[in-house]
Amino acid sequence: MSASLTITLKRASKVYHEGETIAGVVVVDTTADLRHEGLTLSMEGSVNLQLSTKNTGIFDAFSNNIRPINLINTTIELAAAGKIPVGVTEIPFELPLTPRPHGPALLETYHGVFVNVLYTLKCGMKRSFLNKPLHTSCQFFVQYRPQERAPAKPVRCEITPATLRAAGGGSGARANMPKFQLYAELDSTVCALDAPLTGKIRVDECAAPIKSIELQLVRLETCGCAEGYSKDATEIQNIQVGEGDVCRGRDIPLHMVLPRLFTCPTTATPHFKIEFELNIAVVFEDDYLVTENFPILLLRSR
Amino acid sequence: MPVYYKWTSETKQKRKHDYPSLEISNHPLKIEVYNVKLSANKSFLESLQKWSSPFEELDPLLRFEQLNVENDLGPDEKIENTINYPKVWNAKRTAILNKYTTGEKLTIVSSFLPGGEKISSFSALLRQVSNLNEKVKNRLEQLDDFDESSVRKTMGLSQQEFVTKIHMLDDEIKKAWDTEQRVKAFKIAIQCSKLLSDINVMQFYPSKFVLISDVLGNFGALVYDRLKKKSFGNVDIKFQDIDSYNVPESARETCQNWMFKMASIRELLPRLYMEMSLLKCYTFISKSEIKPAIERLTKMIRGIGNPLVAIYVRVYLCNVASSLFGKESECYFNDNLKEFLEEYQQIICPNMAKKFGTQLLTADQYLSLYIPAVDWLLYGTLNYTKCKDTLLEEMLEKCDTTENSELLLCCCVSGFDSTSIIKQSTAIMDIIRNQSDHMVLLSQILSSVGEHLCHAENYCQLPSEALSQCWWKIATNMKSTENFLQVLEPWLQFACNQLSSQHINMILRGTIRYMIKCGKPAEDYCSQIQSVIKRMLKSIPDVEELFLMDAFMPLVELAQTSNARTAMAKTVLTIFFERYNAVEIEDHIIISSLMRLCCILHDSINAVTVEDENKVCAELINKFIHAVSYYDDLEQQLNFYVECRSAFIKLDSVLIALVHAVNALAVRADESRGRWLQRACAAYVFVTVPSLQCPLARAQLYLLGGQAALLTGCIGQAEANLKTLVSLIPEIPQFVQEDGQNKPTHDRVVGLLSNFLSTLLILPDNMDSNSKAYILSGFIKTMERIHWKKTDPLYYTLLLRSLDLLCEMTQESYAYHIDGVLSNDELYGSEEEFIETIESHATNICQELLVVLKSLGDAKETKKQYNLALELFWRIVRRGKLKDSSMTSLATNLWALAQKIQDSNNKFAVSI
Repeated sequence: MSASLTITLKRASKVYHEGETIAGVVVVDTTADLRHEGLTLSMEGSVNLQLSTKNTGIFDAFSNNIRPINLINTTIELAAAGKIPVGVTEIPFELPLTPRPHGPALLETYHGVFVNVLYTLKCGMKRSFLNKPLHTSCQFFVQYRPQERAPAKPVRCEITPATLRAAGGGSGARANMPKFQLYAELDSTVCALDAPLTGKIRVDECAAPIKSIELQLVRLETCGCAEGYSKDATEIQNIQVGEGDVCRGRDIPLHMVLPRLFTCPTTATPHFKIEFELNIAVVFEDDYLVTENFPILLLRSR
Repeated sequence: MPVYYKWTSETKQKRKHDYPSLEISNHPLKIEVYNVKLSANKSFLESLQKWSSPFEELDPLLRFEQLNVENDLGPDEKIENTINYPKVWNAKRTAILNKYTTGEKLTIVSSFLPGGEKISSFSALLRQVSNLNEKVKNRLEQLDDFDESSVRKTMGLSQQEFVTKIHMLDDEIKKAWDTEQRVKAFKIAIQCSKLLSDINVMQFYPSKFVLISDVLGNFGALVYDRLKKKSFGNVDIKFQDIDSYNVPESARETCQNWMFKMASIRELLPRLYMEMSLLKCYTFISKSEIKPAIERLTKMIRGIGNPLVAIYVRVYLCNVASSLFGKESECYFNDNLKEFLEEYQQIICPNMAKKFGTQLLTADQYLSLYIPAVDWLLYGTLNYTKCKDTLLEEMLEKCDTTENSELLLCCCVSGFDSTSIIKQSTAIMDIIRNQSDHMVLLSQILSSVGEHLCHAENYCQLPSEALSQCWWKIATNMKSTENFLQVLEPWLQFACNQLSSQHINMILRGTIRYMIKCGKPAEDYCSQIQSVIKRMLKSIPDVEELFLMDAFMPLVELAQTSNARTAMAKTVLTIFFERYNAVEIEDHIIISSLMRLCCILHDSINAVTVEDENKVCAELINKFIHAVSYYDDLEQQLNFYVECRSAFIKLDSVLIALVHAVNALAVRADESRGRWLQRACAAYVFVTVPSLQCPLARAQLYLLGGQAALLTGCIGQAEANLKTLVSLIPEIPQFVQEDGQNKPTHDRVVGLLSNFLSTLLILPDNMDSNSKAYILSGFIKTMERIHWKKTDPLYYTLLLRSLDLLCEMTQESYAYHIDGVLSNDELYGSEEEFIETIESHATNICQELLVVLKSLGDAKETKKQYNLALELFWRIVRRGKLKDSSMTSLATNLWALAQKIQDSNNKFAVSI
């Protein structure tokens, strides 16, 4: 005798907005009649924070797991104790997606390194004393309702040996820097999450051959509160826009589709912050790297 | 039946018949000869079809030919506004695969192929720690094998191996797809596209591109088909009809996922390729996204620094676009071409020059790698542009202003249609002249300009001469003989079409000078010279003119080896006779040139030459012999034939043709100037015939010679010919070799000898000999001497025919005569002694026939016996003197015999 539980959501994308109703079915598939002590469905949403070892002191290290912040937690009973007949049984359910009355507002789903915002549906079937209870869970995603599109804030910059701040300490600056002049432009530093990030870069002049031009999306996660916090920048994705020694004086488009789950609207709460930055990197043939950094604001907008 | 029947023939009164007659211009038996030229592809196909129509199965040759015609139809479709780009590309695809090959070793990097050297960091580490014992190392490597992401590098692959590997990857994608391992399929596809960033072994790159773009296309189709199935089930719905509103959410979600996956590929080139291969799938999300995406991709390709890689990405983009939008996609060709032109200088940047230099490619070879791609972009652009002339002007201006513009110029010249090119020819030549010192694809450009000019119909308004001079200046400075000849070919045709023969001659002289100056033996360029000459022969309006140029023959004989000369002579003669319209050649210079060529051809024949080769040579020489005419100068004509005989002694069929020609000459000769020419002709025949191999052919020619001599009143010669023929009869074999088969001579011998017997009727008897009917008696004696099988139909048919002749000879006046020849009827005036001789012969033959009848009966050949009996009966009734009792009784006996053995079918008897 075997039985299985699955949760199927009506919406294939599993994306919901605050105030919407999550509808779906719990499918019970059993090869024999199944006696149980009650079937419950719970919805949980929480923010998990983690302090990076780099920024906390040795004494704090043991407590680098901060208590998760609960965003939503509701439970309903799908079926009272009884018997489920052999075969496939579908039990429909509907749950409203609303935050706790006095708790924090719902946040967008986000998968990061030190900050994670997760929403799950969990279904459990209690069974008699000798049988193991059955469990299943299913993630779903929360998104803000799209706002009006913010006005574009274009930004442009020129990169030459003179504009470089010798990054990476005193020894970073090269003695005989090749002569180069780059021009980069982002169409807007305020970006909608659904739209690709666009801009252009032009190599006006470059004495050394170029190996690659890359676009790096970086998240900046800040955890903690007044007494101590950690701030970490990690790479989300790196996209190559130029390969090899590209033609001089030509606009090369920058185009990056923002990955789902790993990005969310720029967020700031008392306990943590999620920010994003964009790096434009030019790698020369000898692996010498020139980068320019742009802080960007991500929004859920039309 | 040992009864002796004496034969007596009835002398008939000459009857006067008035047969209805009408005047005609043609001989009713003359075979009409159609000169069908099979040069046109279509007619060739039709003739093939004609021959293969009785077979149900399509002739394999025909099938190929049909394929060709179908392919040829491709360009025609261009005229209608719907070009089938994938189809045109397919043709191009094959051409690329055939052209860009390599003998270099190739490298493939993939994690999905067995074998090869692992380049994962793990095994690199293993190599460093080399003191690990072998066993441990092996085990660790086995562990590594399970790791899918370990990338292996297979080096030293030959081209064929490489192609197989690519096909393996293609299969691997399908396999993974079918087993629900879609991500694995995706990964393989990415790896495939990564291979395209590798430009080692550049000369294979275009082919590599074609192979891999196929793989990517297949992958794209897999994704598309699955999404389609997910959206619409098994309904066959066309791309154009898909509306994203009708797509269910789940399918749209899957599609979106693919897109996100694709967008997060780190490297630019695989990301571009994958997006292109998935471009079709945007239709499930929103169709309106596709076109902006194409425009965006067009710009993103700028990020590819390597010009060779970049242009082929553009080609792939255009291919995908054209398969989706057809005609509407032409603007993308245009955009991409423009992008390419903007980046043109990348091609010749020092960095690339260094790269192809290290791969030991010449600049020529390097630039030619771009040609198919640029051609393809230009092809779409041309269909997009309404005013081609302005486009060409723009392009040319660009060529003029940019440095090293040869690639662009080359593609323009080959891509545009002739009319535009011809209009701009002067400008193009100016550009070429200005850059000719360092131009790379010079010969290719020049020759394609030449090709275009060949299509010029009437360009008096064009300064043809100036163009040609300009070309000549450039061409003579070319270093490579091969290139020079390549360029020469179309330009010579142009000269033939447009310029005077004087000018052509100058070019030919210059060519010879160049060939001598280049210091290499002309044999090395034999085939190229040959095609130059072929081209010239085909294009010059009057073929004869060529032979009148003093530089033509030296050029033909430039190559000195016998093989080269033979091949050359054969081409020249073949094309000459194809093109030569007039029936007769009279010019002495041409005759002597052709004679020389024929001699070369003849001299090439030796013991090991194959029969077909001989046949072809003989045919050409025969054509020559038939075509030469000296009109009224018959003596000269005969001299020519004598000369030919001595020159072409090795070829029997040429000798036969000569004999026929001489016979014709003899008959044509005017009698008023005496008989000496006719005698000379007869002597020619008599002397020539014995050198033939085949006795049957000899016999035929003797007969013909005899008849011709008789016709021209040379009785002595006629007699000599016929006499030799009689002596030849025993030598005629039963079978002759023809077309590789043994064919029985039976029917031909009957025909020949019947003809011979008819001729004997009018041949005056030789008064010097002491036997009457000298030749006939000889013939009968010969017949007796041969050991015939009595039941052989050939034997008794001949006996019957002889009997016919003998009967006719007894007549007072024969059925036909030749004017001026006294036949035996007038010679003997039915002299008794003569008649007696004849009748005794007839009696003997009759007797022999009865013997045959008996042996037929013994051999149980009743049907043959019956027929023979009736034949003989008929002859007695018609020809014999029935008043004579022995004849009557013979007739009665024969009739009785016939009645006795007749079968149910007695039609023949009744007809008598």
